[in-house]
Amino acid sequence: MAPDPVIQLERVTKSYGDGAGKTQVLRGVSLDVPRGELLALVGQSGSGKSTLLNIVGGLDKADAGAIRVLGHDYGATREPALARLRNAKIGFVFQAFNLLDHLTCVGNVTLPASFDRGARDVDKRGREALGRVGLGDHALRKPSELSGGQKQRVAIARALFNRPELLLCDEPTGNLDSATGHEVIEFFRELNQKDGVTLIIVTHERRMSTIAQRVITMRDGQIVEGDQAGNEDTGGPA
Amino acid sequence: MMPARNLSSMVAGNTVRSPRHFVFSAIGVVIGIGAFVFFLAGVLRVQSVLFSVFPLEEVEVIAPHTSIAGKNLSQKLTQETVDLIKRRPEVKDALPRMTLQFPAVGFGKFEGQEIRFEVGGFTDGIPTSYVGDDPKVSDRFLDNDAAGVIGPACKPELGSKGCPDRAWQYCDKVDQRCHARIPVIVSPTVLELYNTQVAQSHGLPHIGAMEQFIAERGRERMHFTIGLGDTMVAGSNLAMTAAHREVGAIMIGVSKKAKRVGLTVPIGYVERWNREFAGEAASKEFSSIVVTLRDKDRLAPFTKWLQDEPRLKLEDSLGEQFGTVVFVITIVLLAISFVIVGISAINIAHNFFMQVTERRREIGILRAVGASQRDVLMIVLGEAALIGLVSGVLGSVVAVGGSLFVDWASAAFVPDFPFKPASWFDFEWWIFAQGIGFSVLFCVVGGWLPARKAAQMEPAAALAQN
Ligand SMILES: Nc1ncnc2c1ncn2[C@@H]1O[C@H](COP(=O)(O)OP(=O)(O)OP(=O)(O)O)[C@@H](O)[C@H]1O
Ligand SMILES: [Mg+2]
Repeated sequence: MAPDPVIQLERVTKSYGDGAGKTQVLRGVSLDVPRGELLALVGQSGSGKSTLLNIVGGLDKADAGAIRVLGHDYGATREPALARLRNAKIGFVFQAFNLLDHLTCVGNVTLPASFDRGARDVDKRGREALGRVGLGDHALRKPSELSGGQKQRVAIARALFNRPELLLCDEPTGNLDSATGHEVIEFFRELNQKDGVTLIIVTHERRMSTIAQRVITMRDGQIVEGDQAGNEDTGGPA
Repeated sequence: MMPARNLSSMVAGNTVRSPRHFVFSAIGVVIGIGAFVFFLAGVLRVQSVLFSVFPLEEVEVIAPHTSIAGKNLSQKLTQETVDLIKRRPEVKDALPRMTLQFPAVGFGKFEGQEIRFEVGGFTDGIPTSYVGDDPKVSDRFLDNDAAGVIGPACKPELGSKGCPDRAWQYCDKVDQRCHARIPVIVSPTVLELYNTQVAQSHGLPHIGAMEQFIAERGRERMHFTIGLGDTMVAGSNLAMTAAHREVGAIMIGVSKKAKRVGLTVPIGYVERWNREFAGEAASKEFSSIVVTLRDKDRLAPFTKWLQDEPRLKLEDSLGEQFGTVVFVITIVLLAISFVIVGISAINIAHNFFMQVTERRREIGILRAVGASQRDVLMIVLGEAALIGLVSGVLGSVVAVGGSLFVDWASAAFVPDFPFKPASWFDFEWWIFAQGIGFSVLFCVVGGWLPARKAAQMEPAAALAQN
């Protein structure tokens, strides 16, 4: 087991719906992610990758199992504390960018500061974050005036605004052409190597596997390959 | 929890961003609160006019009128009755009124015109203590003859000029001594009747405040004479026990305690004149007893006691009847306002449910970057409260606008009548405060369930929508 795990999952299960319409999406997922790892999560559509990522980020609730992220035991963490954890230490990047169209780029990037009592120098830091993704001169543009790649870079700048320890990316290149996607992948690699940010990236990109330290494959709500934390109990709960 | 400054700027931004939603949510509230403020201000004015005419803190007790074959068999109200009423636990004070029981006529010069008016059935006496709380008249409303304050001898031909205090004395023709003029008070109703009916048709001056009028024109202008045992009614054949004589009087002011239509003097004069002109019995018989209750809640038990007391009954009080009508109208109008605002609140709930559904993704994004459930709840409730605040202010503006129109129309098209107010509305600050407060309250209540729904949405599910 790697030292100082940022994420520890033990037999996490999740289902949607009730009765006949019930779908078991996660069937006992156990996983350890050490600090500073860049982890690629691959698998067929519907295998539960997004669900797993959302549960790790506290955007969704598991039915059962133990979840420990950045020192927080989710089973014992109340909702406001979870919101603070997301605000300060976890960044999200989505396939669909998820920017707010009525805000400027810098407005989107500084959105996390709205929920942070201690936020200082918000605008300056927002422009710095935009500078890091090469959009320093686009601060006052609206997202609708940007290309897909630029939008995703704004979203990344937002995710990095509070200098998170953990970045969760759900198909970040899914809506980008391959050249642009490549730039984004390169940016993540740098982020991981220079700043030591832990990343989990859900991806279909072959190239991602080449830069990832570990590639985990999911099928039918289970990790079927590449789980060094041990995945012997594949049966899952009844 | 997010800082209040961020919350308010986000709420303001979201509101400005969706003007259509804002208008659809606000319009009903604006109308409802407008109606509320408008009605309340109107009712307040009508009530204050009404209470200035009819004091509601008092009731008047009279003897039931019974007559058999033309013979008056009514019970008499006497000092005994006053004492009986005073012993009731509900009663704070009971004061008798006595009417003049024989004909009399008032006459004098007013603004250069000779004026004569019937006084007999239109005059009563009240204890001087009854106006004790009315500083405008209390220091002059005295029974000086009873107190033995009689001045020096005088020549009746000289009138007041023969007496040391011309303003306040007259020379009595019978004993040829200077007497204090009899102080007379009238009700606001009389003044209002004079202003709206008499003054215009006779080319007499309008009297706004009686004290000011007296100060400007002098006390002597308020002098007049009462001819006791005289009448303007032809064919009156009441048997009188004394010969006709004249006394000097002076109008000293306006009081709510005065007889609604007529003149009021200290009761001692009426007692003595009744004894002189109508006999001993008439000097001991009261026309009514004014009862001041300890508080309003005592009216019910006191009325019940009166019902079981065959010798007494409550004077049908116009004030009470009007009060009840105004009360009922108030309730109906306020109920209408609240129904409008209530329906608007349901409408707001509906609009916000739709909006929250439309904004699922946005809410999911906020949650992803660190908004707690409470933050989301506060954002939606804040937007509802802002709609309430703006609607409340707009509603107040609409109400004031409506009132200006009504007042203009009233001045332009409605002829003068007694107690017609210059404005039909009394916009006290607390009416606006209440209107805006209710507006915010109803909007927040309407936004409550949608806000909860927004707060309880799973962020993952909210973000899954595209
Ligand atoms: N909110 C939801 N309600 C019901 N079913 C859901 C919900 N979210 C996901 N599912 C189901 O759970 C399963 C796993 O979904 P998930 O999004 O985790 O898959 P994925 O591996 O991310 O797939 P993809 O590669 O297509 O994004 C799917 O069958 C999906 O239909
Ligand atoms: Mg997915």
